[in-house]
Amino acid sequence: MTAASGSATPRIVELGPPPRPSRFSLATREHLSGFLYISPWIVGFFLFTFAPMIASLVLSFTDFDPRSPGSTTFIGLANYQRMAAGILGLNGGDPLIGEALFVTIRFAALLIPITLLFALGVAMLVNSTLLAGRNIFRTLFYMPMQIPIVASTLIWIGMLNASTGWFNQILGALGVSGPDWINSVTWVGPSLVLMGLWGIGNMMLIFLAGLQGIPTELYDACKVDGAGRWASFRNVTLPMLSPVLFYNVIITLIGTFQYFTQAYIIGNGRGDPDNATLFFNLHLYREGWAFYSMGYASALAWLLFAIVLGLTVFLFRSAGSWVYEAGGDR
Amino acid sequence: MERIDRPRSRLAAALVGVAIIVAACGGGTPSQAPAATDAPATPAPAASDDVTITPVPGQGGMTSDGRPLIRWFVGLGTGERPNHIEVEQAVVDAWNEAHPEMVVSLEIYRNAVAYDTLATQIATGNAPDIIGPIGLRALQSFGDQLLDLSPYIESSGADLSEIPQGLMDAYNLDGKQIGIPMAVYPSFIYYNKTLFDEANLPYPPHKVGEQYEGQDWTWETAAELARKLTVDAAGNDATSADFDPENIVQYGLDAQWTENDARAWATVFGGSGSALADDGTAQFPDNWRTGLEFYYDGIWNGHFIPDKAAVDGMSGGNTFQSGQIAMDVVHLWYTCCVYPAEGTPPVTDWDIAVVPVGPDGNTTSKLHADTIGILASSPHPDLAFEVMNYLAGSPELTQIYGAMPARASAQDAFFEGLSEGFAPLEIDWQVARDMLEYPDVPSHESYMPNFQRADAANKALGSRLWTTPGLDVNAEIDALVTELTGIFAEASD
Repeated sequence: MTAASGSATPRIVELGPPPRPSRFSLATREHLSGFLYISPWIVGFFLFTFAPMIASLVLSFTDFDPRSPGSTTFIGLANYQRMAAGILGLNGGDPLIGEALFVTIRFAALLIPITLLFALGVAMLVNSTLLAGRNIFRTLFYMPMQIPIVASTLIWIGMLNASTGWFNQILGALGVSGPDWINSVTWVGPSLVLMGLWGIGNMMLIFLAGLQGIPTELYDACKVDGAGRWASFRNVTLPMLSPVLFYNVIITLIGTFQYFTQAYIIGNGRGDPDNATLFFNLHLYREGWAFYSMGYASALAWLLFAIVLGLTVFLFRSAGSWVYEAGGDR
Repeated sequence: MERIDRPRSRLAAALVGVAIIVAACGGGTPSQAPAATDAPATPAPAASDDVTITPVPGQGGMTSDGRPLIRWFVGLGTGERPNHIEVEQAVVDAWNEAHPEMVVSLEIYRNAVAYDTLATQIATGNAPDIIGPIGLRALQSFGDQLLDLSPYIESSGADLSEIPQGLMDAYNLDGKQIGIPMAVYPSFIYYNKTLFDEANLPYPPHKVGEQYEGQDWTWETAAELARKLTVDAAGNDATSADFDPENIVQYGLDAQWTENDARAWATVFGGSGSALADDGTAQFPDNWRTGLEFYYDGIWNGHFIPDKAAVDGMSGGNTFQSGQIAMDVVHLWYTCCVYPAEGTPPVTDWDIAVVPVGPDGNTTSKLHADTIGILASSPHPDLAFEVMNYLAGSPELTQIYGAMPARASAQDAFFEGLSEGFAPLEIDWQVARDMLEYPDVPSHESYMPNFQRADAANKALGSRLWTTPGLDVNAEIDALVTELTGIFAEASD
């Protein structure tokens, strides 16, 4: 407080009436403030994600063709019936949906365990104190993540070329005749997995963070108990890392069902060779943007959403039996 | 401690879970939007540099100052290369200068995104007026949206007498004249003279009816020649008992950039045909079967045509330019991408020859043609027709596209320009003129019901033949006919 100059009498500050108690409780006001702060995201989500989702749901009940929007008609569940008939192999069904689902699921079954194991192995390697130049290796393993998918796919196509690619040239030098990686129905799947292994940088980094978060006391306790490396890994590393593993499984699963760019480039946008790269997402794209059956493509998108949601819910439900949560009651 | 409301928290958790999945499904690294159709009628190699053009803003077909606005959409076929854009903009500027009462606005899209962009523009009621250049195949994607030009041709009195009727008919869909031929691209054999000289072999014929080494110039003769020009790493040609098909360094024959198209391959090696029978069902004519068998045998048994893996290993698919192909059946538009247009590659001495006689006893030059069309939604169809005529007749545009003008009177100047561009090579352009007399009628790109799906099935067969040895070609063709029958029937449902 400051006194008025030239006067000994302190000025009396008149206070207004006491603030009216808010109509909202403190908790509600905190909630409102919170929503206010995240409102840009909420608005963006509803405008650019949720609204298009609803639009695609509506479109899935129509025969919408973007080239002639004026002739769009409501066709009820016909798109979903076509999907179901295709999956069940009935007449009038989508002849490629079964193949697209099979290609995607087979790829997921192959890619997810292999990339998880590989990324975990690399993370443990670059976390090891025995490795000289760990930071260099961490950088090297992460570097492929900086290369655009299109560029890296084109590079891989070159490396896997049957006649001029490095892979077959190396195999040839060893006296082994390499396969036609990209153009063979048998080998194109493994080729894509091989390409997937190159891009484990993010997963490795997350595993690495998880590994570094495991208290060293637990390993010390293991040593005291006479546990070897494998026992330590099984009884300490894996359980402590299980939340990170869980996260990576979810993200990889979603990513696998979203697989598109590499398959589009390698399969010439058509699923070549012989539909071996016709992933579900590519099939969806072709229906919508090559055949202009946007209504059916929307229905396919909803099936994809339902599959991913179902698998995610299943994983969350199963998490109780294998994911360790510190402080949890499990 | 605050009591947790279980049902509400579960609901909230479920909503958050769904939101996370939605976000995950929608997010990720943006990937390049791909082409909606399988290939442009004329390949448009990616532009090496961005050329900035500024479309004129407008709304409802009018500019902000109240003048009619005609939007020209380029990218569905050729026209997106930087050197193209420069000329296209100059042609548009010249029109705008001469016609201040209206404005033409040039819009360029990369071929990879052009189909999606146009479909989206149509869907949102923001369609351009003019589209093109566009080939026959690509035209099938938007044929229904194009304006019938017949009344405008009639009322304008446009003189189209110089354009062959067969070409005009190619752009007539169900009685609707959806385009006026702007440019034609006959196909013929580009041959690498250096490889012929090395093998001490005479060059292939330059005139229809000429013999080669005392033999009729048929595909069988060409195959025999191609075997002699196919060489392994040890220098043995494909006629030698010591020839190693696992280590081929030079092939005798190719039909590059045919893009898995079974109809196109069947036409190159078998002659004209159609997958659509007169009664509306699917078919695969006998000469096409023979043509595909020839092609398949050339890849997997004769080893004188490269399979897909070999093609991928040669200059990114520009096989002739790699110097590893002796004879290549390609269209006139390939002048875009052969020496000296593409720097100083292994091929520096080449010429062109006529295509051999097919199994049907005819000489058939697979023909590509470009047009410019007007969308039926154009608010100014009369003005758009005037502009379209101007663009279709522009010698600057046909020259830069490497396109032989459909109007005969403009062809001399075109070939003079081409000769200047390829000097000091002396290319026998008369071959190209002659080949125009033998177009594939019906076209290998002609209409099929349910076109996109039918074409996808056609290319799936092409892909199998190109990548898979040991197939029964006839059984594969029978399977295609069955599949096409179903696809055609879907269209009539």
